[in-house]
Amino acid sequence: MRQILRISLLVATCLSVFVLRAQDRVVTGKVTSSEDGSSMPGVSISVKGTTRGANSDGEGNYRVSVPENATLVFSFVGFSIIEEKVNGRTVINIQMRPDAKTLSEIVVTGYGSQIKRELTGNIAQVKSKDIENMPTPSVDAAIQGKAAGVYVNSGSGKLGQAVTVRVRGNSSISANSQPLYVVDGTPVTTGDLSNYGGETNTLADINPNDIESIEVLKDASAGAIYGARAANGVVLITTKRGKAGKTSVSFNYQMGVAEATKRLPFLNAEQYIKFYTQAANTRDRLDGTDPSDPDSYTSYVLGPDFLGYYSYDTYGTSKQGDYNWQEKAFQKGPIQQLDLQLSGGNEKTKFFISGQYLNQTGTIIGNNLERMSGRLNLDHQANNWLSVGLTMNLSRTLNRRLPGDNAFSNPLQMAALTPLTPFEDPNTGLPAGTPPGDVNIPLYYNPIISINYGSFVSTGIRNLTNGYLQANIFKGLRFRSEIGIDLLNQNEESFFQSQTIRNQSRASSGIGANYGTFVTNYNTNNFFTYDNAFGKHGISATLGMSYQQSQTKVNFVEGIQFPSDSYKKIASAANKSDGTSTETNFRFLSYFLRANYKFADKYLLSLSGRIDGSSRFGANSRYGFFPAAAVGWVLSEENFLKSNSIISFLKLRASYGLTGNAEIGNFPQLGLFQGDAGYAGAAGQRPSQIGNPNLKWETTAQADIGIDYGILNNRINGEIDYYVKNTSGLLLNVNIPSTTGFLSQVQNVGKLENKGIEFVINTQNLVGKFKWNTSLNLAANRNKVTDIQGQVIEGGVRSMNRVVEGQPIGVFYTVEYAGVNPDNGDALFYKNTKNTDGSLDRTTVTNAGYNTAQRVVVGNPNPKLIGGITNSFSYKGFDLSVFFNGVFGNDVNFYGVGQYSSANGIYEDNQTTDQLNAWTPENRNTDVPEARFYRGNGNQASSRFIFDGSFLRLRTATLSYTLPTALVNRVKLERVRVYLSGMNLATFTKYKGWDPEVNSDDFTTNFAIGNDFYTPPQPRTIMAGINIGF
Amino acid sequence: MTFEELLVLKLINAISNQLKPKKMNKLLKYTYLTAIGMTLLSSCDQRLEVAPTQTIDENLALGTSRDVEVTLIGCYDGLQDVDLYGGAIQYTADLYGDGGDMRFGGTFANLLEIFNKQLTTANSTATATWVDAYNTINRCNNVLSALDKVDQAKRNRIEGEARFIRGSLYFELVRLYAKAWGDGDNAANPGVPLVLTPTRAISEENYRKRNSVAEVYTQAIDDLMKAESLLPATNTIYATKNAAAAQLSRIYLMQSNFAGARDAANRVITSGTQRLVTPFSALFYTFLRNGGANPAEYIFAMTVTTQDGVNGMNTYYGTTVSSIPGTAGRGDFRIQPQHLALYEAGDTRGEFFIKPTSQTYTQKHIDRYGNVPVIRLAEMYLTRAEANFRLGTTVGAAPLADINVIRTRAGLKALTEVTLPVIMKERKLELAFEGHLLHDIKRTKGMAGTLNFNDARLIFPIPQREMDADAKFKQLTQNAGY
Repeated sequence: MRQILRISLLVATCLSVFVLRAQDRVVTGKVTSSEDGSSMPGVSISVKGTTRGANSDGEGNYRVSVPENATLVFSFVGFSIIEEKVNGRTVINIQMRPDAKTLSEIVVTGYGSQIKRELTGNIAQVKSKDIENMPTPSVDAAIQGKAAGVYVNSGSGKLGQAVTVRVRGNSSISANSQPLYVVDGTPVTTGDLSNYGGETNTLADINPNDIESIEVLKDASAGAIYGARAANGVVLITTKRGKAGKTSVSFNYQMGVAEATKRLPFLNAEQYIKFYTQAANTRDRLDGTDPSDPDSYTSYVLGPDFLGYYSYDTYGTSKQGDYNWQEKAFQKGPIQQLDLQLSGGNEKTKFFISGQYLNQTGTIIGNNLERMSGRLNLDHQANNWLSVGLTMNLSRTLNRRLPGDNAFSNPLQMAALTPLTPFEDPNTGLPAGTPPGDVNIPLYYNPIISINYGSFVSTGIRNLTNGYLQANIFKGLRFRSEIGIDLLNQNEESFFQSQTIRNQSRASSGIGANYGTFVTNYNTNNFFTYDNAFGKHGISATLGMSYQQSQTKVNFVEGIQFPSDSYKKIASAANKSDGTSTETNFRFLSYFLRANYKFADKYLLSLSGRIDGSSRFGANSRYGFFPAAAVGWVLSEENFLKSNSIISFLKLRASYGLTGNAEIGNFPQLGLFQGDAGYAGAAGQRPSQIGNPNLKWETTAQADIGIDYGILNNRINGEIDYYVKNTSGLLLNVNIPSTTGFLSQVQNVGKLENKGIEFVINTQNLVGKFKWNTSLNLAANRNKVTDIQGQVIEGGVRSMNRVVEGQPIGVFYTVEYAGVNPDNGDALFYKNTKNTDGSLDRTTVTNAGYNTAQRVVVGNPNPKLIGGITNSFSYKGFDLSVFFNGVFGNDVNFYGVGQYSSANGIYEDNQTTDQLNAWTPENRNTDVPEARFYRGNGNQASSRFIFDGSFLRLRTATLSYTLPTALVNRVKLERVRVYLSGMNLATFTKYKGWDPEVNSDDFTTNFAIGNDFYTPPQPRTIMAGINIGF
Repeated sequence: MTFEELLVLKLINAISNQLKPKKMNKLLKYTYLTAIGMTLLSSCDQRLEVAPTQTIDENLALGTSRDVEVTLIGCYDGLQDVDLYGGAIQYTADLYGDGGDMRFGGTFANLLEIFNKQLTTANSTATATWVDAYNTINRCNNVLSALDKVDQAKRNRIEGEARFIRGSLYFELVRLYAKAWGDGDNAANPGVPLVLTPTRAISEENYRKRNSVAEVYTQAIDDLMKAESLLPATNTIYATKNAAAAQLSRIYLMQSNFAGARDAANRVITSGTQRLVTPFSALFYTFLRNGGANPAEYIFAMTVTTQDGVNGMNTYYGTTVSSIPGTAGRGDFRIQPQHLALYEAGDTRGEFFIKPTSQTYTQKHIDRYGNVPVIRLAEMYLTRAEANFRLGTTVGAAPLADINVIRTRAGLKALTEVTLPVIMKERKLELAFEGHLLHDIKRTKGMAGTLNFNDARLIFPIPQREMDADAKFKQLTQNAGY
């Protein structure tokens, strides 16, 4: 197959050299708007069937050279496309009509683009307007709720951290399920490059305001052109290009402040004393100890060793205080962002230049992100057949990072500290626990010490450069060659002074570490496209190849024993205590083909396919073939509907095809030894991986049927889709007996299924002076693991997420909590073992029998329904946009707080106030078991802490006012817009934790989602901004 | 030149010959253009062969003597894991056997479960010790499978060391995960699976049944006897003849084979390779006060450096003491008055505790980078004394003499007579918090807190992950009570 493709490519190449060109003429004209007759700058004018074209200038005038018998195509976002035959004219003036239907828009499809009305695949589009100026540093978080079937979870309120994105459900268990991100043709480096805390997000290096559009390829027909890399969906990011005409300058400044969305109620000092006295009394009673015995738990709690000690001996004195430690974790985070964009050029050369400065302070103490980015996008028409271009993006992202959720230094864990412990050590006036004071106070390490006396700063320098060369070979045939380079250079530097000794046990004289990560990613695409019409037949085709190679190098050095806290660089460390350098590589070689055919604008057919070879696949299966086919039928072009006054557009489409997932790690197929098993300074090696030479990609077969509709002259339009995705050959880390010396072997054995419906409706509710538009998208996905060959695959907090056959991926699988025994306060659990008749034994056991209770599926972290709704209103210069997004039917595991702080006083941690409702002989009807100091009574892993995580969130609201043109023209400006916007203004949920939109960084794996572990909540941000154009 | 390239050239030649000169210019452009694309097309194929840089293929890993020697170092690296002799094997015995001498004040559920003697099958210590032990055993099996590659002069030592590590681990596994020796029928009681060859592929035979307790003991004894005969008397920080003999004495003691235990201990003592050090406190703080070297009394220890290894005993027994820089630890294992009251006045071992906060900690493990002692000479004296006493013999020395050696070093007066309880108490105090408690209770049929020595709750569960991984073939049997 590969051979055939290559030869056909060759033939095409050779044919191209026989081309001759016809004589040209020049056409000029002016483009105006039908609304108010004003001139329209920046309208794209292209000669149909060629790549020639121009843009109208600042006054709406254009000039373009055309061949004989040409047809001009006028297009502008938001306006209907006009096709005009030249017919020998030299002046053609055009009036453009605003278009309600988005159907005439151009959609980027990967190695090309297509008019939306002719699409047969499913591609969701998000335009620049939908994501600009959102106070999120990365673009993936910004598309949340904007594209049907794309589930986005920002995870936490930490800045610049990974965002979970799932397109049409999760289609992998062990391999990465994030979509492929392609920026201006280059698959960019994504994924975690962090050496501290949670996963980072390399998409945060891209300025969202530089983006023209984002296309998400969802079905097989759209995705097959990305073959082995498309099973998780493909996100195509296209940056803004210059437009010919007067140079337009746009300046934007916005500032605001963010604050965490929620606090949890924890015990105050008085409640804490009462609760732990009660817990200790109970424990003494159970042990048969007299509470007044000096060795009793009660004496311990109330004595100098516990409350006395942790309160700096203020307990029971007049100095005893009440300290809300949770509040110390939060701060108000100012944000400011400055943007400058210039766009312009002439018919031959167009440019887009932008610069941005963003400084965002987190809502959790110690967190800050600063980004500077610059971009130059250049397009040049070298002569009538050759055009070249360049996009260059350079950015620097500096992130003062927070530790992972499961670290004592995670500020939110302060919520668990004793509310009697003063914030400052009364002996030193320094934050509690700071040397020279007693470092063992508070109860756990005080995270403020890490913030005052330590830092972890990640600095990323990113250069994303793409160059292209495009040649028109003859009418309709083009060759395009693209080279992209994505250089990522990340430095992570940490220093923890001696004061952090309790958390960093090796920091007695300071500890510093420095990581350098260098990712060099090259990609080239070389392809022919052919586009032509013969009477009623329209043909377009793409044929080409791409090659990508990526190398990641990491080096690391660590030092301890610094002369003093003033020295922070490892040069001063007496002991260079650790160091390493690593490298890994992967490569892809791919050939792709796509052919689209349409007849009479009614019948559409698309065939596409890709052959992917990768260094990641085993020697026995190095190349995979991924074909897809799709058909479409535009019913509204048929005579029986053509004159229908209600239905203005109706298209049926269906597609089927194969895509793959190659995100399986770089060398999963080999049996390996690793040289990291040194001992006491002597070098050592160990077997590190058991091999599998048959290993290959995961394959997803997807069928999609859909309807695109437009009603009442497209004032109501949208899409409805139903899809079924069957993934097979799932890479599973198949658990094997560890008596082999290995825990697992990677095998292609599993199967799973996603199916769902997507529904999009856009309406123009009111037109005229007062405009009201609504767009709504809803998607319901059902995921089911159909075959995992009996493997047990677990993850998440206390391994409670599990992959279970017949269940959605990553369900919560644990013992089922049965409440409290009203007679004695014991926690109860359902036994759930199988009776001989096959039914479940619903009798209960208590703590001692916990092990005999069978674990069962008690929750599902995958949402059943996701969606977003935007309402925008405009009146004169005022615009108001209100966007809600919602996630419904998913469960969240609260066991992070659950096992420690809603835990019946098993440890000494401060508790959530609901624990005050613990069982006592006087309070028998409760679901909170009796508090028992240092005794498990209900804090075991169970369904007790699995909660409904559904929420509806007022994600953004923006009110803006554009000053009247006449007014701003007087001060020599073109446009002045002021605005107020807010993000996460309100959240409607029953979830009792900080935030239902949560994925704890320390516990999230590909399938283990929906875990909350003292995870910082999302910020609520209020911003004001001004946008000036001149 | 590939087929495609050849074809391109031929076609270009043919076309050039056909066309008129004025068309050439344009033609050349197209040709160059497409040639770039074609070159890229044809030269990429071989580039998909990418070898790992971090790791090496298993077929290249064991080709030379040096390869096998570094794999043996990997066995020590495995043995040093915090869930094996890096700490967990020892502190598990202390926590599990505890009857009020200490209190667990940490947040790790796995340790709290052990302390409360009520484990869940997913207990992470029970899981990690099993997994890491077999991982290390596989490393040993790799070494033992490639002995023919080892230089003749080193072969005995290499084999002896690998056998020492494998035998020691099977012994530790069988006494944690199976019924105690003599608790029922050793030949029928399930022990742990014996794996004696390296794993290179996965098939049904990798799903193994548990061998009997007797079989595992036999294997451990076989490995250690061979190790004792193969190993040199001294071997820097690595396993020696005495290390193997000392480990044998432990195994025989667990089996109540007192003659075997006595003779093995006697061989160690009379070899003179190790000597008791004075004062008692000089036995510990190996990093802070002894430059990282083992005291002369250590028979076998896991070496910890600032760059490699973690002292797992320090993690939980240790605590940060501001007055002693270099100390660290979570301070989770808090020594209780009940234990402190056991020491006679003047006993330097009783003074070897520290109270930096309201809690009391042993000083044995507060040196962050201190080596983790596994076996030291004092144990051999105590074992020889106990075995001689039980057998009524005086091999090497009379029990009284051996006990007085230990007492005198601790700063106590010599006794004039000993009884078994005196010997056992001496053993308890000398070796406290060094990983002996549970096993001494089990072999002497005592009580761990309120539980009888043979209570099912004093046996680790076969880890849940192992039972789950075995779900298809159902070869493993879970222990009673889980």
